Amino acid sequence: MPSSVPASRDPGPSGEPPAEGLTIRFVLNGRTVEARVEPHRTLLWVLREVFDLVGAKEGCGVGECGACTVLLDGEAVNACLVLAGKVDGREVTTVEGLGGPEALHPLQQWFIRKHAVQCGYCTPGMLLSAAALLRRNPDPTREEIREALAGNLCRCTGYVQIVEAVRAAAREMAGR
Amino acid sequence: MPRGAVGSRSPRRDLLDKVLGRVRFAADLKVPGMLHLVVVRSTEAHARVTGIDVGEAAAVPGVVRVFTAADVPGENRYGIIRPTADQHLLAEGRVRMVGDPVALVAAETPEAAAEGARRVRVAYEPLPAVLDPAEALEAAAVRIHERGNLCFEQRVVRGDVDRALSEAAVVVEGTYETSRIEHAYIEPEAGVAYLEDGVLVVVCCTQNPHYDRRDLCRLLGLPEERVRVIQAPTGGGFGGKLDLSVQPFVALATWHTGRPCRLVYSREESFAASSKRHPFRMRYRTAADREGRLLAVEADLLADTGAYASYGLAVAIRAAVHAAGPYRVPNVRVRSRAVYTNHPFSGAMRGFGAPQVAFGYESQMDRVADALGLDPLEVRRRNALGPGEHTITGQRLGPSVGLRECLERVGRVRARWDGAPGLRGDGPVGVGVGAMYYGIGNTGMSNPSTAHVRFDEDGGFTLFTGAAEIGQGSDRVLTAVCADALGVDPDRVRLVRADTALTADAGATSASRQTYISGGAVLEAGQALGERILRRAEDLLEIPAEDLVIEGDRVRSRSLPSREVPLEEVASSFAKAGGMPREEGRFDPETTPLDRESGQGVPYATYAFAAQVARVRVDPVTGRVRVERIAAAHDVGRGVHPPGVRGQITGGVAMGVGMALMEAFDPGRDRNLDTYLIPTAADMPRVHPMIVEAPEPTGPFGAKGVGEPALIPTAPAVLNALARACGARIWRLPAGLEEVLEALGRGKE
Repeated sequence: MPSSVPASRDPGPSGEPPAEGLTIRFVLNGRTVEARVEPHRTLLWVLREVFDLVGAKEGCGVGECGACTVLLDGEAVNACLVLAGKVDGREVTTVEGLGGPEALHPLQQWFIRKHAVQCGYCTPGMLLSAAALLRRNPDPTREEIREALAGNLCRCTGYVQIVEAVRAAAREMAGR
Repeated sequence: MPRGAVGSRSPRRDLLDKVLGRVRFAADLKVPGMLHLVVVRSTEAHARVTGIDVGEAAAVPGVVRVFTAADVPGENRYGIIRPTADQHLLAEGRVRMVGDPVALVAAETPEAAAEGARRVRVAYEPLPAVLDPAEALEAAAVRIHERGNLCFEQRVVRGDVDRALSEAAVVVEGTYETSRIEHAYIEPEAGVAYLEDGVLVVVCCTQNPHYDRRDLCRLLGLPEERVRVIQAPTGGGFGGKLDLSVQPFVALATWHTGRPCRLVYSREESFAASSKRHPFRMRYRTAADREGRLLAVEADLLADTGAYASYGLAVAIRAAVHAAGPYRVPNVRVRSRAVYTNHPFSGAMRGFGAPQVAFGYESQMDRVADALGLDPLEVRRRNALGPGEHTITGQRLGPSVGLRECLERVGRVRARWDGAPGLRGDGPVGVGVGAMYYGIGNTGMSNPSTAHVRFDEDGGFTLFTGAAEIGQGSDRVLTAVCADALGVDPDRVRLVRADTALTADAGATSASRQTYISGGAVLEAGQALGERILRRAEDLLEIPAEDLVIEGDRVRSRSLPSREVPLEEVASSFAKAGGMPREEGRFDPETTPLDRESGQGVPYATYAFAAQVARVRVDPVTGRVRVERIAAAHDVGRGVHPPGVRGQITGGVAMGVGMALMEAFDPGRDRNLDTYLIPTAADMPRVHPMIVEAPEPTGPFGAKGVGEPALIPTAPAVLNALARACGARIWRLPAGLEEVLEALGRGKE
């Protein structure tokens, strides 16, 4: 079974921390962390390979699909385009930090209730783009939601139920 | 009886892990000690490989081994349709497309594997490339495969077309073209392999683990018990994960090295290595009488299947069968050909040729309406197939034919749009219709599914199915069918899915077949197990089984409601008596093969039907098209999970909008999603999905399917709307800015 494949917690595919590199310290999902990485590594690589946080996905590697979207100081960014050095001293939130199984973020709840997920590969990035939108605009129109999510590609859903979920979450968060 | 899992709107179970980011897709799996692989791919469209020098690559620090065709232990040939199997795991002296695999590098790190791959020296002797399917059929054309460049041809012939053409009140002729389309699932292909007790285990994204195992065994020369394929959570497929992708590479490298291996495609490699939707050229002649009743359809279909057959045969056949649309047509002459070229290979993509021909026949239907001054919806209504009527293959339809209701439902929505203000902006507006039918399952051949249901010691159940869940929701559908077949709460049903060591072959997750076919197998298994539980409860309660019923968490008497026994107790009784019962169900829809010459036969046991209407607005300055609204009515037999059906419809509409307006894969240009554009949230219309239920007697609780039908009417509806907005028709997909401006110009003349 896939779940029985033992997960390694190696610092990187090569197994050893790099001899030459830079040390970055940042807040990751509320916890201060440190990593030593080669300067060409991206934030996406650091999340997945150093911290084994695999919620952020690589879908294109060039910042077009949004599957790697995370929050950097509250703003949605494509983690595949952010060099690791750029996050030093900053705050990163991934889907793993958005809400836990016992305390789902309203967006996560409404993505489930509105059936806004099919294969789930784009979902983490989609959730974080939506979270960034609601942070700067707690009461977005349907059009504003569509524009805010236009950088996150989904090939399964046609986005209709995703937009409905974001609207419902916004209403709940605003207590409407 | 509390029957209710089928039709319930409650959320799918898998969504919690998905919103938490906890699902491990294949690219997220790490196996200790694993090697990383990189495939060396052809840079030539057509060439002889005169030499491969791996010396320098093998010397790169960290490179463990470099493989070429000589290292393939079994038969170096694979393909999902066995009679036309023509792909090689690694090239044997010849490459037929850019991206053909030539060598494979295994290394300790991804960096070393990439460096090794750069240092593999391949000597090519270029051959003339054939890039046009019509030219490929010319006698002088270079042969891409030994058997010639015609991959497959299917005809459908019925009645006397020439006579009908000569007697018709109106004959419209047109030539239509569709584009090559990339599946663009958001998850690029990935997989790992490792050895476990002498068994080669491959964990990968896939739509068909049992097929994967069959071809892996052939490639490696291994018996089936030595290879286990486990489907990893799969991030979309749409037909593109039916062919083998990473599986044979990780399998080969693990088999030789004994080490776990992982291969993750970049988006660039996914684009270069995966199948595409067949581009079609279609010549149509459609004849009708004065009232718009169809008298004849003649269609000549030419599909570019690229360098390898893949599903080309199935696409050619399905296109032929569906070429006249969901209408009564007494006289038909269809020729459908799939032809090899040196383009990227074309394979299965959501609809198998049906979306392409729908653009042809639905454009023709509008032109018939225009020629006679009739409403396009009315022309479709007059010709719509009904229960007991005959398709162009001579098949008499059963009772589950919901096309008229679909047309009626979208017609009512269209009436509400008339005169309604636009959502934004100015510019000409057009409303268009598209309709379709779609045969569920493989065409004219046996395509069974087998499922098992086991009663567990704790009073729960385990459903074993080989059906691959790729996001579309088959897990939910099959679990609901199982729960209702037994009469129990769906929370009692565990699922073991798509693992060749644990589940029987369910056939491919393709052809919109899992709800109908695997659902049928699950229904039979669940009912058989329910019978056994009642017979055991008969002994426990001393009440005849005929008077007993499983209800939620217990077995109770119908006549004496106080007499009951919890399922847990029935389970313990089985456990004490020596073992838990497990039942098998199998369903293979009744079909007959198509006649080779006439194409007559019963290709499918049942059909889904649909109609969509689209309203578009055109910016006359830029040519930009805004699809404002789409109403989509789909006869699915029974909506097993209505939110899931809605999700299939809205997702299909999105893919249809892409096909209509945006998507054309250019092999020389498109390497990634920066140039190959698919619809975003901002491109989407408002969608009004409507579920029509004309129950299918042979389907589980009446269900048919919806996955591919969701997409098929969209591009025709959008293009028919565009023809009205522009005053002139566009004959070639996609309708980009230039094509729209050009059509606006023609419309003014």
